[in-house]
Amino acid sequence: MKKLKLVIEGMHCASCASNIERSLKKVEGVDSVSVSLMLKKAIVEAKDSVSEEDLKKAIARAGYKLAKIE
Amino acid sequence: MTRKKSSQDLSVEEIELRSWKAKLVGAWIFTIPIAVFMFSERIFGFALMPVEWMIPSLLVLGFPVVFVFGWSTIRTGFRGLFSLYFNMDSLIALGTVIAYLTGFFSYFNFVADYSGVASMIMAIFITGKFIETKARGKASQEIKKLIQLGAKKARILKNGKEVEIDSSEIKVGDVMVVRPGEKIPTDGVVIKGESAVDESMISGESLPIEKSKGSSVIGATINQDGVLYVKALKIGKDTFLSHIIELVEEAQGTKVPIQKLADKITSVFVPVILSLAVLSFANWWLITGELSRALGVGISVLVIACPCSLGLAVPISLMVGSGIGAKNGILIRKGEAIQTMKQAKIIVFDKTGTITKGKPEVTDIYSKDKNNRLLEISASVERFSEHPVARAIVEKAGLKKYKRVSGFKVIRGKGVQGFIGKNRILIGSRKLFYENEISLDGFEEKISNFESHGKTTMIVSKNKKILGIIAVADAIKPDSPEAIRMLNKSGFRIIMLTGDNERTAKAIARLVGIEEVLADVLPEDKSNKIEELQKEGFVVFVGDGINDAPALKQSNVGIAMGTGTDIAIEAGDIVIVKGSLVGVVQAINLSKATFSKIKQNLFWAFAYNIVAIPIAIAGLLHPIIAEIAMALSSITVVTNANLLRRKKI
Repeated sequence: MKKLKLVIEGMHCASCASNIERSLKKVEGVDSVSVSLMLKKAIVEAKDSVSEEDLKKAIARAGYKLAKIE
Repeated sequence: MTRKKSSQDLSVEEIELRSWKAKLVGAWIFTIPIAVFMFSERIFGFALMPVEWMIPSLLVLGFPVVFVFGWSTIRTGFRGLFSLYFNMDSLIALGTVIAYLTGFFSYFNFVADYSGVASMIMAIFITGKFIETKARGKASQEIKKLIQLGAKKARILKNGKEVEIDSSEIKVGDVMVVRPGEKIPTDGVVIKGESAVDESMISGESLPIEKSKGSSVIGATINQDGVLYVKALKIGKDTFLSHIIELVEEAQGTKVPIQKLADKITSVFVPVILSLAVLSFANWWLITGELSRALGVGISVLVIACPCSLGLAVPISLMVGSGIGAKNGILIRKGEAIQTMKQAKIIVFDKTGTITKGKPEVTDIYSKDKNNRLLEISASVERFSEHPVARAIVEKAGLKKYKRVSGFKVIRGKGVQGFIGKNRILIGSRKLFYENEISLDGFEEKISNFESHGKTTMIVSKNKKILGIIAVADAIKPDSPEAIRMLNKSGFRIIMLTGDNERTAKAIARLVGIEEVLADVLPEDKSNKIEELQKEGFVVFVGDGINDAPALKQSNVGIAMGTGTDIAIEAGDIVIVKGSLVGVVQAINLSKATFSKIKQNLFWAFAYNIVAIPIAIAGLLHPIIAEIAMALSSITVVTNANLLRRKKI
């Protein structure tokens, strides 16, 4: 288990938060996602098998960009 | 480290705001002439240009508005449409592009020209976004201030000389020199010097705190009057300030239960609106046969719907609320606590360290025989115990040399035992002596007397004989009675929970004005007591985050008391940094104020969409008016959240 804080670019409206949440939850091994619209960050709890690349792809699929992982 | 991250964060927002501003200026430079041309006939009574020039000029002027200044919106909007991750931009993009294209189609005469309308919608949308972004920045100002709080530079001693370095380069063990008026660069302990330190930015405590050799200090607090030499103990992500920031940031991702419905609606909002727009368009076209009219209605429906007001209503209020809290040393960790607090009926306070200072001191020593070395014997045994009362006794004795003790044992919740030579020494409460069948004859009266003054009494025996008693008192925090008075006035049922005996507990309770006391509760039973009380209503438990973690978890809202230099991160839904009971009152007030703001915002957001969308479907709104309404609705929600700041807590 690991906890990651993702900083996301391009999040500018309320639907964005739910889009990102939806897409990240589809990633195999992701247990919980909480997206803060205000901070433009997502906190993801995932199994160790989940790679940075998987999360990046999921965010891109919803139309946003992973700026960095804190 | 923390600081670097923060300046980057800030610039991202600044860049966003600047880009909206640039788009706004650009869009209106082209949109104003469009508006003048479009309305000139109505306003001035004559057309500014021949009719045949009109549509081409609107299309030329409108192109940069929609496709240059609005490009980011158009792009993300259509990407959302194609990937089925719909967003707010999808609605605006579709509305403006369709409107713009009517300019060309109007040449084929099957539709009226809406191209001017496209530019106006985009310009108003951009304006709305600019205002909203600005207000959102304001909503997070307290949190941003917190992030920027850290000191930028530090002066450390290197080979006896002062050297200035970046705060991020400090290593654990470095000795920092902090002059009056300067920020203490990072958490540490004073090794030389005396001064008062202003900790208000961290704890909300307005009075400066005296510091001398051995005192802990927190990074980012301000040294007032003397030079302090501080040994750095924590750096980077481990500092007190970093922990606070982390708590506040993590709280932003938590949900308030009331937002569930809004979130559900937001997630299906755009596709639903798209279908409604298509349906209204088709319906109007079929019924009236007027394609232009039907298009106008369709565009109105697309642009009037506003998921942002719905989606922002809760998080932005939570952000403003937790920002105000952080400024006052109240850290809201879970959004849920704000809502639950409203239903709370019972507040249970732990005694030691919550109502009292948690630093007991020996007040009386009573012995019938002056030469029995009561204190020396007690301190020798008690120095093996971690209990605060034990520490008070050891401190009072101030021995340089202790007696040799063997067979030390803690009798949980009752006392301790040890052997000095062959003599068995027992120190503890009445219970311990009843169980060991040692008579308290001749001491009963004195013990009761101490207890009724709120003092914890430690009885000391050697073999079967009582040597004497040591009374220990833990002074109440100065603002505890005031806080209890305020809570009583608000109608809460207030209970004090403690492991102390009933008489001592009642005496303390009387001092602060609490009527109900649960005494003699063993540490492991605290959470069970909370569970029992929960049958009668929602329970708020206030206690320290270290010993009371299970009770904090069991309660409906757990409020953890910090000690000012340490916060228990894992326990508690709300943390009071400075650990004062008035902080608890403030936390309750803040939760209520924030929750009522959340409800207001949700109400307006729902009401707006429920009223506006049908009006647009009914064809009663021009697309431009629809777009203005949309922009106003999200601005209203954001501005209303910012008004929370006016509330006194």
